[in-house]
Amino acid sequence: MSQRITIDPITRLEGHGKIEIFLNDAGEVSSAYFQVPELRGFESFCVGRHAEEMPNITNRICGVCPEAHHMAAIKAVDAAYGVECLPAARRIRELIYMAFYVTDHTTHFYCLGGPDFIVGPEAPASERNILGVIRKVGLDIGQQVINTRKRNHELIKQLGGRGVHLCGAVPGGWAVAVSKEQQAEFRHWATENVEFARFSLKAFEDIVLKNPEYLELVLSDLYYHETHSMGTVDPFKAPNFYDGQIRVVDTLGNEIALYNANDYLDHVAERVEPWSYLKFPYLKKIGWKGFVDGQESGIYHATPLSRLNVSDRMATPGAQAEFERLYETFGARGKAANGRNLPIHHRLATHWARLIELLYAAEHMCELLDHPEICDPNVRRVVQARAGVGIGSVEAPRGTLTHHYETDERGILTRVNMIVGTTNNNAPMSLSIMKAAKGLIHGGKVSDGILNKVEMAFRLYDPCCSCATHALGKAPLELLLRREGSGALLDRVVRD
Amino acid sequence: MIVIGLGSPFLSDDSVGPRVVRELVGRELAGVRLVESHAGGLLLLEELAGSQRAVIVDALLDERKKPGEVVMANIDTASHNAACSHDCSLPEALAIGRAMGISLPADENIRLVGIVAKDVSTFSESLTPNVAAAIDKACDIVCAYLSSNSASAEAV
Repeated sequence: MSQRITIDPITRLEGHGKIEIFLNDAGEVSSAYFQVPELRGFESFCVGRHAEEMPNITNRICGVCPEAHHMAAIKAVDAAYGVECLPAARRIRELIYMAFYVTDHTTHFYCLGGPDFIVGPEAPASERNILGVIRKVGLDIGQQVINTRKRNHELIKQLGGRGVHLCGAVPGGWAVAVSKEQQAEFRHWATENVEFARFSLKAFEDIVLKNPEYLELVLSDLYYHETHSMGTVDPFKAPNFYDGQIRVVDTLGNEIALYNANDYLDHVAERVEPWSYLKFPYLKKIGWKGFVDGQESGIYHATPLSRLNVSDRMATPGAQAEFERLYETFGARGKAANGRNLPIHHRLATHWARLIELLYAAEHMCELLDHPEICDPNVRRVVQARAGVGIGSVEAPRGTLTHHYETDERGILTRVNMIVGTTNNNAPMSLSIMKAAKGLIHGGKVSDGILNKVEMAFRLYDPCCSCATHALGKAPLELLLRREGSGALLDRVVRD
Repeated sequence: MIVIGLGSPFLSDDSVGPRVVRELVGRELAGVRLVESHAGGLLLLEELAGSQRAVIVDALLDERKKPGEVVMANIDTASHNAACSHDCSLPEALAIGRAMGISLPADENIRLVGIVAKDVSTFSESLTPNVAAAIDKACDIVCAYLSSNSASAEAV
């Protein structure tokens, strides 16, 4: 008799998703998969529209990463029309994008990933949230989270036209320039962001790294996977979220690919499985070897941790120091055969990597605002539509995001493709869930704390399944045990 | 007072919240701020700050009800997803806001108006027929609520 456990919906995750865990006759885990709802008809919705509508359509696909879609879309339009973005406009795009990163990473750490550590993985679900964090760390932290989000949303609103679904991108430029007054105010906010990022890193050190129990969890085999790493880097091989080349390093730290976003189809292919409508991207040159990790597998991850794994350095001083400390702590600094850092494969280190990225984003805001030409009013140019192919790519907080458009001579879209950030991690997320479930569920026995540790395995990827569905009424975490084949319900556990 | 229409404008019936808000623009409601949004939790908190009464209009998935039915509920029945789950739930966000001393509507002054949706996962700017037909009714319900206790709750 095989059993099937369904955790549906996943708590604290964008949109509805579910985890399915299959148990064999002995009540041991045989396999586990991550499922999200499918949105239909995106390409047919877009084809026939003007390409420059795309930044304002794709930024409303979901309520979580509108800025990432807005930027990838306008970069794809720039490329399709064969136009280079004006320098001041590019800085504005990047400034907004960094402000977005600060808000997104802050939200993840304090509301989603952090509560597992700060409140504790065994704490009841009702406690593992930002309110629990405030109770543990103090009211001031809540104020800081709110203020950080507020000032960065205000920057995005002032320059992007709208706070959430910004609309400032125009082909080859940006709709508005930065005034001197704004520059001064934003610079002040950027400094506050740096202080907040440092505070967050200190909190991580005090609460997680100095707690032997949590450190053991971070270092445990339960959350360990050797997969290849992907991320966008600048010419000096430091991470860059807005632009650069995509670098892939293998499980041992060797560079196995460095390519422009235009060539993504030469490097990434998507596996389709009969049991899921999800696509599972993998490295084309290695090939699909199934849901296995290791050097021979084509599975890669695209996360804050993978972005640091592919990088040789950070572009800002504070983040560089933290980067060195991270690899030193894991005994990985300079330990690859080629002298690079060995990639870190302890997936829970992704939370630490995310905070290092938070500091980098904040420091980079300071750099952008200190540039003498940030207030250059020359941010728009005349652009002609043309028949072309445009591929735009950015690092979304949750993975490399690629938009691919083809236009006719009027600039009307004839083809649209997208690989969204979370999709990159479909295969490694399934691997992580499977491993955690196998380690924690035995003899068909599950408990709340165990389920949360399974959820922690994918929560670290910060997946976003699109905010497409809303439901009034209680939506508790539901656990269903089913007999495979007949589908008969064996047991049902509901957690409010 | 504030009315927030939640949902994506491009995902079929998911756009019903923003559409109700757009329809309400024509009704010229004095002292009411109308907002379209596609987010929740802490972002909703930021929108609600400074208001004393709020209505949140959203698409509702409920297999026990017929598409186009309009349901009114209190905040305590809001699920995680009604409040967009990337950051925190709306009740959590409100609790944080109040702890911070932010001026927010009391729970009993926040109403959720849900319109039962049929399809929220197909990219389209059209509503399914029953949901489209429910917009007027949803607007009437919002207006009736806003005017019902206006004497007891000062409009902000």
